[in-house]
Formats: sequence, C-alpha cells, structure tokens
Amino acid sequence: MKFKWLLLLAIFCFLFLSGCTHDMNRREIDEINFIHVMGIDYSEGNFIITVVYSSGSGADKEGGGSGKEEVSKGQGVTPYDAYVDLKLKNKKSISIANTGYFIIGERACSKGINTCIDFLSRDETTKMDSLIFVTKGVDAAEFIEDSMEEEQIIHEDLQAVEQKQKELVTRNDNTLINILNEIENEKSSVIIPYLITEEKAFLLKGYAVFDNLVLVDYLDMETSSGVNFFKNIVREFPIYLEDDVFLSILYTRSKVKSELDNKQIKVVINVDFETMVKEVLSDESIFNKKELDRLTIKQNEYIIDIMRKATNYSIVNGRDILQIARLIENQHTSKWSDYEENWEELISEIQYEFVVNSKISKSFIFGKER
Amino acid sequence: MSRINSVVITELFSKSGDVVVRPIKINQNDLVVHLFCVDGLINQALFDEAVFRSLKFDPYLEKCQTERQMMDYLLEGGAYHIFTSEETDYDKLLKSVLSGVVALIFDGEEKAIVYDIRAFEKRSIQEPTDENVMKGSKDSFIEVLRMNTALVRRRIRSEYLVVEQMSVGRVSKTDLALLYVSNIADMNTVNKIRDKINDIDIDNLSTPAFIEEYLIDNKYSIFPQLMYTQRPDRVSANLSDGRVALIVDGIPYAYILPCQLPMLMQSPDDYANHFLIGSSLRIIRYISMIVTLFLPAFYIAATTYQSQMLPVQLALSTQVAKQNVPFSSASEVLGLLISFEILIEAGLRLPTAVGTTMSILGGLVVGQAAVSANLISPAVVVIVALAGIAGFMMPNQDLSSAVRLSRFILAVLAAVAGFFGLAIGLIILITHLCSLDNYNTAYMSPFVDVERRNIRDTLFRFPTRYFLKRPDDIAPVNKTKRRNRGDKEDEI
Repeated sequence: MKFKWLLLLAIFCFLFLSGCTHDMNRREIDEINFIHVMGIDYSEGNFIITVVYSSGSGADKEGGGSGKEEVSKGQGVTPYDAYVDLKLKNKKSISIANTGYFIIGERACSKGINTCIDFLSRDETTKMDSLIFVTKGVDAAEFIEDSMEEEQIIHEDLQAVEQKQKELVTRNDNTLINILNEIENEKSSVIIPYLITEEKAFLLKGYAVFDNLVLVDYLDMETSSGVNFFKNIVREFPIYLEDDVFLSILYTRSKVKSELDNKQIKVVINVDFETMVKEVLSDESIFNKKELDRLTIKQNEYIIDIMRKATNYSIVNGRDILQIARLIENQHTSKWSDYEENWEELISEIQYEFVVNSKISKSFIFGKER
Repeated sequence: MSRINSVVITELFSKSGDVVVRPIKINQNDLVVHLFCVDGLINQALFDEAVFRSLKFDPYLEKCQTERQMMDYLLEGGAYHIFTSEETDYDKLLKSVLSGVVALIFDGEEKAIVYDIRAFEKRSIQEPTDENVMKGSKDSFIEVLRMNTALVRRRIRSEYLVVEQMSVGRVSKTDLALLYVSNIADMNTVNKIRDKINDIDIDNLSTPAFIEEYLIDNKYSIFPQLMYTQRPDRVSANLSDGRVALIVDGIPYAYILPCQLPMLMQSPDDYANHFLIGSSLRIIRYISMIVTLFLPAFYIAATTYQSQMLPVQLALSTQVAKQNVPFSSASEVLGLLISFEILIEAGLRLPTAVGTTMSILGGLVVGQAAVSANLISPAVVVIVALAGIAGFMMPNQDLSSAVRLSRFILAVLAAVAGFFGLAIGLIILITHLCSLDNYNTAYMSPFVDVERRNIRDTLFRFPTRYFLKRPDDIAPVNKTKRRNRGDKEDEI
C-alpha cells in the first residue's frame, strides 16, 4: 500500500515538475496555423518554402468550414533554413503535423530529393503518409500561387488528385515514408508522380525519374503505366484495341521473378488480368469464342507493349526504375554482392520475359449481342 | 439483564405514546396478562379476531388456574394465529415488539407469548424504476424485508436457498437477510460476509452507503465493489451462480457479492433479447464507457498539446470552432463538465416539472447563448454532451458516478500533460481496477482470468448453451450450471 502511494506521488511529482520547468509544447489549437500544402523550390542559391494554411477567419463557426486559405513564404540556404525563416515571419506558430501534400518544384528536384525532404523526415510531427509530388516545368510556388489566383482551394484539388490516383492504382507509393525508403536504396532510381496544370485542374501524367536522387527525366503516361504493372498496383487500366473495342482492366496480379545465371540477369514478369468490354463500335459481334480468343491475344500484346516501354526505358537509359536491384537482393540475398558493384552496367543487360494471361469477362449486354 | 415484566416495560416506555402496555383480565381467577405492542405496526383487526377474542371468550381459558396453564394452551393453538412463540429473553422481546410483533406478558412466569401480526403501511410492488426492461418481469423490491425475501423465494424454490435473518444497528436494530444457495455458494465467502455483518457496530443503519462501506475491503476506491439491484430475477440469477445476496429492511435494493466490473456493465435486457442483440448493446455500453471516460481528456490533450493527433479536417473545424473563445480548451471542458454535473444535481433536487424546464433552460438556452457569446466553442459543447450522455449508458448508477469522477481526473491530467498525462491516468486507473479484490475474486475478473470460458458473458453475450459452468472463484464446488442434450457428465 505504501509503495502504491509512493509510486503515485512519484508520478505526480514528475508530472508537475515537468509542467513547471517546461510547457510540454502546450499550445492551444487556435494559436497554430496548420499547413495543408507545402511547396519546396530552389532559386538563385536559396531554397524557398511556400505554404498554404487556413487562417480560420471567414469560416462559419457553427457551420464548419476551414476558413480562408493563405499563403506564406520563407527563404533560406537549406530547406530547413527556409522553414525557420517562414516560422519567424508568421504571426502564429505553424505546424506541418497536418500537412497532407508536399510539392517539390523542378529546380529544387535538381538539387536532390533527399536535400528537399530531409528536414521533413526528422520532424516528429510529420505525417508519414503525406504525399509528395513533383511539378513539371514550373516551381511549386508558381503552381500554388496560380491556383490561388484562380480562387481554387489547393488542398481540395490535391485531394481530388489523390482520389483519382487511388482509382487507378491500389496504393499510393509517393508517400513520404515510401520515398524515404526508396532513397535508402542507392542502386535504384527514385520515381515520384509529377503534376501538371491543365485548364484549372491538376493532372497526374506519370513519374518523374531521379537518378542519384537528382531529377533527370519524366516518364510518359504509358511507360508509367508499365511501371505500375511491375509494381503490381494497377487497379483500373483502359485498353483500346484498334478494331473499335474498348476494354477496361478489372483485376490484375503481377509476379516478378529474377533468375541469375553467370552474371546474366533474367527477369520474368507474370501478369494475370481480367478485362471487361466497355465499348464496341464495330457492327460485328465479338461475343463468340473465336473473336474473344482473338481479342484476348490482342489485349495481352497490348499490356506486354506497355510493360516493354518501361523495361526498354530502363535498358536504354540504364536507370533502375523498376526496382530490380531490390528484387534481386531479396530473392538472391547471397548472390547479390556479386552483382552489386557492377549494377549500373548490368541494368542495361537485363533480359525481360513476359508471361501474360488474361480473360475477357461478361459485359452486361442489354438488347442485341454484338 | 432485565426480567420480562409489565411494570418494567411500562416504566421504560412511559414517555412513548405509540407503545401500548395494557392489562387484560382473562377470567374470574384474577389472571391478568399485559398486552405489549406498538400502535401502527400491528394488524389490529387480526389481533382482535385471532387473539383478543380467544382471550375473552374461550371457555378453556376461563378454567385456567395458573399463568403457565394459560400459556401452554395459547401456544398449543388456543389463539388462532399461526406465528406464535414463547419469548423468555427480555432484549429479544423488546426488539420483536418494536419491529411490529404483539406480545402478551405473563408477569408471574416472566415470559411472554409473541404473535407476529405485523401490518404497516407499505409501498406496493411496482415496476423497477432503475432497471426497467422491455421483456422480462416487472416486479421490484420494496422497503419491506419479508416481502423482498418472498420475491426471491418465489423464483428459487430450492430447499438449498438459505435466508439467514440478522439484525444490525445498536439503536435502529435493522433487520437484514443474507441469502445464498447452500449447495452452490462458496461457504468461505458466506462466512466472511456473515462475519463482516456481525462486526458492524453502528447506531443506525439507515442508508445504503453505511452497509456498503462495511462490506467492501477497499473503502477508498470510487468504483462500486458490490452490485445493487431492484430486480428479484437478477438476485435469483446471481444466487444460482453462487453469489450471495443481502437484503436490508427499509432499503428497496438487494446487494450482491462478490461483485466484478463486468457484472456492473450487464443489463437484464441483455438476456431478454437475442444474444447478438444483447452483445451489440453490451459493446455499445463498453464503447460509451470509453467515450465518457476519455473523450473530454482526449479533446483537451489534442487541442492543447498534440494537435497532430487530429485528422486534418477535424483539426481545421476544431480550430475554427475555437476562434475568439477567450478560455483555454481545458478551462472550457472542465467548466462545462462541472456545469453539467450542476445541472444533473439540480435536476434531481427539483420537482419533475420544474426539473425538465430547468434542463431545457440550462442545457439548451444557456448553452446556445454561451456559444453565441463566444464563451465556449460548439465543439466543446458537443464533446461534453456526448460524454455526459454516454455516461448514462451504464446500467449501474454507482459505476456511472465513478466513471464521471474519473473523467474529471483524466481531464485534469490531460490539461497538465496532454496525452502523456492521459496515458499516466489510464495506467493508474487500470492498475487500481486490477488491484481490487472482492471476496477472493478479482474485480476485473474474468478479463484477467486464465479460464477462457468465463469471458463468454462479458463483452459479448454468448448463447446460453455456452454457459455450462459457473465461475470457479464464485462457485468452487458445484460448478455445473447446465447440460446440453447428449453431454456426458465429464464433458461439462
């Protein structure tokens, strides 16, 4: 009993003492500006941080809403220095605890992705599932300010992009934690989705490729889709066959296997998928075995072409955008050390083999079968 | 020790107008007995009919020569009343008469004959107010001990049901009954409870809290360690499980021992409904307990220290709601929690009609005005209201009060140290609950039991076919509760 009281006393002393000596980061919620979106740029020797936050003013207290969005900027020789500058300039304390999106400008990407996001990974409040995007051709600040000028709510637009991304793929691989994980693997290229603006809307066009953590290229949409097949994250994918038939992938499963044979690397990709006929513009009926078999072969070829674009890019440019290095390391742990040193040369020599199986499922026909 | 004598008794009660000590001349042999009773506690009509008529008109009594002859005749059925006995002990006589029994004092023999013809104004058996159910019995205990024991006896027609009558209180001499099923209950527990009751040394056992404090080991814990119920069916179910019930005269509740926390979260409705519905209701009750206990503290911690815990949209709407409110979140929540308790307390004291008006005025009008005047944020009103309502989901009011007090403590801890304080509070709370021991059973049992089967009637209410055995710590000897068709003896 005595011990119990002593323990309680110790706990309370500890609490009150800590309360007396430090405020334990005590800060009322209305004294903080929550950053929704953060842009990271580089210009003329300085990093620029642009943030969008809700001030709370202008919102209906009882009706809800997040209030008016405001933009603030900070500048410094490093991204963190710019963030400190931003903090000093801001009237209230700012927090990246609720930041859902980090947009990195093209020029900042050329300084190295690790440089841009290092301070984020060290902040204990950062959400590890916040998404990172790259802006193609423009700075993130320009991207943010343009949308603000057009009275768009940028974080809602980015939410829409996220939703669209989830419609096409089964998971978002551009989370902060995932990018940090990819950065760890020095042998492979980091790929991050890039955004463009088109008629007041943000569009995801594909992946930005980082070689040695520096932005080097942008993949087109088809090559990016090929990468998604390798990653086994395709949820929905349209297939347009030349004979006026439109199909859509309902389900897909990819298995990538590597085989090592005397310094020769062979990668076998098994893809199983199922499609549904979405549109038929020809007058001929396609719902007979012969026609369906023909379409199945054609859709297999279509997917192989898509994937081949990704593998060709990897071979031609010598960039491991398909994360083959990690695959081999995981599947052939003991042999990996033999390949590790010459990996950059070996990437271009990898042989890819595609095994594709598919089927076309029913398409809810009303009326005439065609 | 005094002798049984009418003169002594007359002198003792000379200043009490309600105590009657009156001589009755029986026959021509100058034999006189003294009637000793309390006016208002006896059934006068029955006394006149069954006893007084015999005394005056029975021809055999006319012939009696001695008081002894008269006593023997009356005890053998001379007076037409079934509950007749001889009393030789002065203290017992006084106690019996003061509890409503009628005595005929025979001064020469220094003895008395007592007739139990108690009748006093009492409440009729009504629907239970605290534990009403949609399906199930609608009777509840009243203030009369004998009526309450009869309600239990009606449900357990077993020869093993023991109703041990006891008396407590130096001045009040309150009757109480210890009920248990002798072939199921753990006799060590029964003996321990009996000893505790015998050790009670109090002048007046008038309120439930007095007896509760005597029966529980950890008197400083705010959590109820004995269960009370208004329902005879609930008592009978617990007696059948091996527990012990205590019924006190004047208190319309029965106490059930040993008590564990999950028992206090059970409602009779759980067993009246389909097991899935019963389980859902029970889960909602547990969720409510968590909500009422932690929601105010969580809000304080999340809005004052660790705002990153809130999802983005929730953080933003909370921020907007908090704009222009001059007080800290902790002050808001604690202030409103206290106001809520004031409203509840005031509502209890006021007449029903005024109470309702005051609740509307206090809850809605003042609440709305306070929000409009930026004194409190709408989010805090929602949080406190939700926590308050969730607190009343608990079937046991003592547990509800304990949880309400605990949420204050947790809210203060959260105000001091955020989630860190909340975590400390949670650790202390769990440690405290796990340390409570109730007549050799863990208070948190069966959550902390090694016997998995006991968990079947806690968070979920399993179908009755799974309730095959009684808990080991409650009924160590007679464990078999039921058998399914085809079960062999050793399978149970």
